Amino acid sequence: MSGLNLESFAENASRLGTRLQETISEHTRDLSIARASSAGYLDTPEEKVRLIRKQLDSNSDREKLDAMKRLIALISKGRNVSEYFAQVVKNVASHNLEIRKLVYIYLLRYAEQEPDLALLSINTFQKDLSDPNPLIRAMALRVLSGIRVPMIGSIVVLAIKKCAADISPYVKKAAAQAIPKCYSLDSSHQPELITIISTLLRDRSPLPIGSVAVAFEAVCPTRLDLFHQHYRRLCRTLIDMDDWGQVDLLNLLVRYARTMLPRPVITEDADGQSEEVDPDLKLLLSSAEPLFQSNNPAVVLAVARAFYYLGPPSEMKKIVSPLLRLLHISPEIERVTLSYILVVARSSPSLFTPHYTSFLVRTDDIRQVKKDKMQLLRLLISAENHQALLREFIYYADDSDDDLVADAIQAIGYCARLVPESTQQCLTALMSFIQSKHDPVVANAVLVLKSLVQLSLHHHQTLTIASTSGAYSPMAIISRLAYRIEEIRHPKARACVLWLVEWAPDVLRKAAGFFTKETPYVKLQTVTLAAKLLVLCPSDRTLGLLNRYVLSLARYDLNFDVRDRARMLGSLLSGVTSVLHSDEDGHEDQGGVVLRREQVKMVLFEGKQDVSLDTGIPVDDRHALLGSLSAVVGRDLTYDSYLPDWLEEGTESSLRDSEYDAPQVPIHAQPLPSAIPRSIASSSKNTPVILTPTGPSPSGSFVRQNGKSDWTDLDKFYAETESTEEEEGTEEEAVESDEEEADSNEDGDSEEEEEGSAEEPDTDSVDEGKGESEDVLHHAR
Amino acid sequence: MAIDGLVILDSTGRPIVQSGFRSTSPAYPLLHIEALNDALSKAPRPADADPVLYVPNTGIDGPSACCHVKRGELRFLGLMSGDTDPLYVFAFLETFISILRDYFGQLSAETLKENFDVVYQLLEETLDAGGHPSTTSINALKDIVLPPSLLSKVLSVAGVSGLASPGTNSHPFASPIPWRKVGVRYNSNEIFFDVAEELKAVVNKNGGIIVSSVWGKVHTNCRLSGTPDLLLSFSNAQPLTDCSFHPCVRLQRWSRDKNLSFVPPDGRFILMEYKYTPGGVHHVAVPFALKASVDCEVNGGSFDVALTSRLTTKVLENMNVELYLGEGATSASCVVSNNTSWNFDPRTRILHWNIKAVSPSSSFSLKGTFSSTAEQPRPSHAFRARFEIPQHSFSSLKVDQLKITGEMYKPYKGVRGRSTGDVEWRW
Repeated sequence: MSGLNLESFAENASRLGTRLQETISEHTRDLSIARASSAGYLDTPEEKVRLIRKQLDSNSDREKLDAMKRLIALISKGRNVSEYFAQVVKNVASHNLEIRKLVYIYLLRYAEQEPDLALLSINTFQKDLSDPNPLIRAMALRVLSGIRVPMIGSIVVLAIKKCAADISPYVKKAAAQAIPKCYSLDSSHQPELITIISTLLRDRSPLPIGSVAVAFEAVCPTRLDLFHQHYRRLCRTLIDMDDWGQVDLLNLLVRYARTMLPRPVITEDADGQSEEVDPDLKLLLSSAEPLFQSNNPAVVLAVARAFYYLGPPSEMKKIVSPLLRLLHISPEIERVTLSYILVVARSSPSLFTPHYTSFLVRTDDIRQVKKDKMQLLRLLISAENHQALLREFIYYADDSDDDLVADAIQAIGYCARLVPESTQQCLTALMSFIQSKHDPVVANAVLVLKSLVQLSLHHHQTLTIASTSGAYSPMAIISRLAYRIEEIRHPKARACVLWLVEWAPDVLRKAAGFFTKETPYVKLQTVTLAAKLLVLCPSDRTLGLLNRYVLSLARYDLNFDVRDRARMLGSLLSGVTSVLHSDEDGHEDQGGVVLRREQVKMVLFEGKQDVSLDTGIPVDDRHALLGSLSAVVGRDLTYDSYLPDWLEEGTESSLRDSEYDAPQVPIHAQPLPSAIPRSIASSSKNTPVILTPTGPSPSGSFVRQNGKSDWTDLDKFYAETESTEEEEGTEEEAVESDEEEADSNEDGDSEEEEEGSAEEPDTDSVDEGKGESEDVLHHAR
Repeated sequence: MAIDGLVILDSTGRPIVQSGFRSTSPAYPLLHIEALNDALSKAPRPADADPVLYVPNTGIDGPSACCHVKRGELRFLGLMSGDTDPLYVFAFLETFISILRDYFGQLSAETLKENFDVVYQLLEETLDAGGHPSTTSINALKDIVLPPSLLSKVLSVAGVSGLASPGTNSHPFASPIPWRKVGVRYNSNEIFFDVAEELKAVVNKNGGIIVSSVWGKVHTNCRLSGTPDLLLSFSNAQPLTDCSFHPCVRLQRWSRDKNLSFVPPDGRFILMEYKYTPGGVHHVAVPFALKASVDCEVNGGSFDVALTSRLTTKVLENMNVELYLGEGATSASCVVSNNTSWNFDPRTRILHWNIKAVSPSSSFSLKGTFSSTAEQPRPSHAFRARFEIPQHSFSSLKVDQLKITGEMYKPYKGVRGRSTGDVEWRW
């Protein structure tokens, strides 16, 4: 039609354009007013700004458009231009669409600040709601819901209701988007809004559903029962929706499934595992699965989330390759996806073990990515791949990034503990790191060796290290470390060596020489070492002198920790030297210490064997959910989204029967479930406090639990329903006559029927416009 | 609890465009911008700043974070609050950027400033005030927000700018197919497929491949009239795995016989992405060899690199070899073969070696020394080599045929291959 003609006109014009533009640009170069480019608006001088008011009042559309562009330019420069509000509002009824769109953008920004002036134009907006152009209808609603004046709440509700019944899915979508805004403005409209949501849920067009899901989460996250009738249809429409709608709806359906469907049952029998999955759950998973091939990473993750939290174990491996695919999209997406893979790998590392090469660190990776990859590689160490991984770790230890070096060396130590066959190799590597010229390498190697020694002492030489080699027995490691004490510069590592060494007067001699230049950390260990040696050999004169020297240095140290320690040890030793028998010296190894009952020795020597296995996995993100900020930034956020656990039994599957897919089951047969919706509705009408959460968007599950505890008392529950039945019935009727759906509902107080039968008129009227077109669209997917 | 808004920063870190933060205080976006600029200045490399920045104490209750990506000189910030999925924000940023590209072609601060009114309209349409993306399909958007076309420019010069609009955007979403407009007309019907593949590999110092993978994208430029229904079949589609598709592709058909059946959107789009997994052989070969020795001494070091092409017929173009010389590197001096150039960027401490064209089985060398303030310099342990091979694809994917139904004309078809590589070569 006219659009078509204009299209072809546009094309012809653009063909002409090249030639035209040359001439026009020639002509307009000096005509500053007629500049085609808008760049001029951005550097608006002050006198032009003053002109804006006049331009807005002028009769010419061009003047007005010019002024509006100037205003938007000022907005983008961060200037507050709310002073022009009155003039702008006048133009809201302009017949020029271009002007109108800009006016709407302006109003959306400032309607909140100037509610009184915005109220003046409410009539125009209401008129616009019946405009033939769906774009105008949608925009009018958007502005209307953007005016944050509680007074007009009921007008907005009416407008939303009107738009929700619009023929254009675009306007319906706008209606769904307006619902949360209206709710946050005045939560007392909740019942009406819930009615609108349930009307919108019946809609067959896939476009608005995503926004409806969002509105649902904002307004009534606990009313999952509204979805019973639509669950199966929504699952099937999933594939035809737009990306964002898919994400929002999938997250909602996951919550629905967790609350309403039975947990998959896994039974082990003779020939392996068999799984029993509810058909409705199966439907959700099977209709979501093709979306793994979406080109939108957010959708892929939402599907992975559904599989991870709902799927039976056999389905779990399906999430692996889609997640790995995301790693290649962009560095930013790689960063986020890796933290999600970490969440999954922590609970089931075996899924990713065959794919460890995807996590090899590249030099140009973002710092955080390197960190996450190292954690992942650590988790994936297994008997099969430890050779390759160890090679990688050893390579990373040479990297120029200190954090990576530290992670890699720690991973080597971890590998030594985890895979006994690799211990020898790990120790060789670690010992060679000690020779390195680079401080961080040495320091980390020493720290890791320390914990390995500790561990092997813990096992009393029966396990791992000692059994594999004589050259790398704990004692050998200690003596190698002690030998190199002068070259180890990192204070923590120095302290570490001193702490490990038990019988090496020479080390003490060296350490005492450097005492004054050391950090407090090393000083503490030096003092302790001196004390230890003296306990072992109280009669030795040189040791006594060294001891006295070190202790007196420490006594006058600047650091009070060191002074404190020196005082403590000094008094400890004064008792020991006289008590200790000299025949105990010469025993170098820990195992030979028979004087366990000697308390001083206990105090000084015990701690070494008490080692807790560090797994390298931070404990703090156990709560992290797939697809949440807390999993990404590694913090336990207080506003954590919460996924409810499975319900014991799941709800009746017949609840989800609807006329779309099965002969309808008489709903009256199950009085309790069909009454549940009513109970919530009634309680919310009587005592809105219960269901009206304090925050703008409540955490649904929290409220839900409250509700559930109420229902456990059946008598109470029925009593409450009965008392409210009267007024509810009348209210329902009122609402329905508004909706022009009264014909669908003969009986005022049997709302159960409304859910089912009200769909018929809806499907007819809506599908008239869309029906044919949707067939074309219909995917063979 | 979603995307609070979007900010676009110019190269100096100043905001040029920002969406209206209606539900938050005006300080909210500023805090985020400041947090970002702070993180960028602290990071050793700008790319090292965490793409998801946690921003505490923004005055709203609940956590908030700033997700940012850099495209060209511009940096796009997606501000989010609540426990939303940052991937959602990144996906939106990516979509918004591709919309801007489609509207304005090249992205720069200049083009955005020239078309700020369009940018604002786009923001309004793509991101709902509640923080959820709404209309992001380009063809649907073009009904709502007019792209800055030559026509509208001509009309606005003529002083009738408002008249251009009513015809085109009479019915948004009037089209039965969300991604395609009704009534598209072209005089010559043509469709082009660009198969772009990227090889990513890590190679150890003996030339052994540790990991390599080839990812491909089929860029499509569709200029077909009416509502054509296309069926694209490849002669060798079997090794394509891990595919993802534009929403227009019928997934069932692909899983059945690896044919692509779709009604294409109008204009440019990415039809599919895939991973090339050759059967039998584990890895795709790296098309060149690098022999390198790097020696570190006190306050400096020397290096000797030789690069040889392993290809027999094709030319490697724009070969760029990089080496990070480590903290404290101050200067470098090199001797290179003919037709190559080198430079050292003292700010990023990266040595670049550029070879315009590496012809088949030719070799090039780079010898040089560098000095550093660090006593024991620690240069990166890997070279990063990037290159292009025009008219080539690693998978040698071939389009078998393109069938068109629903329209009468016979379109002109064009298929092109193009490959790039990004190889990390350890020494």
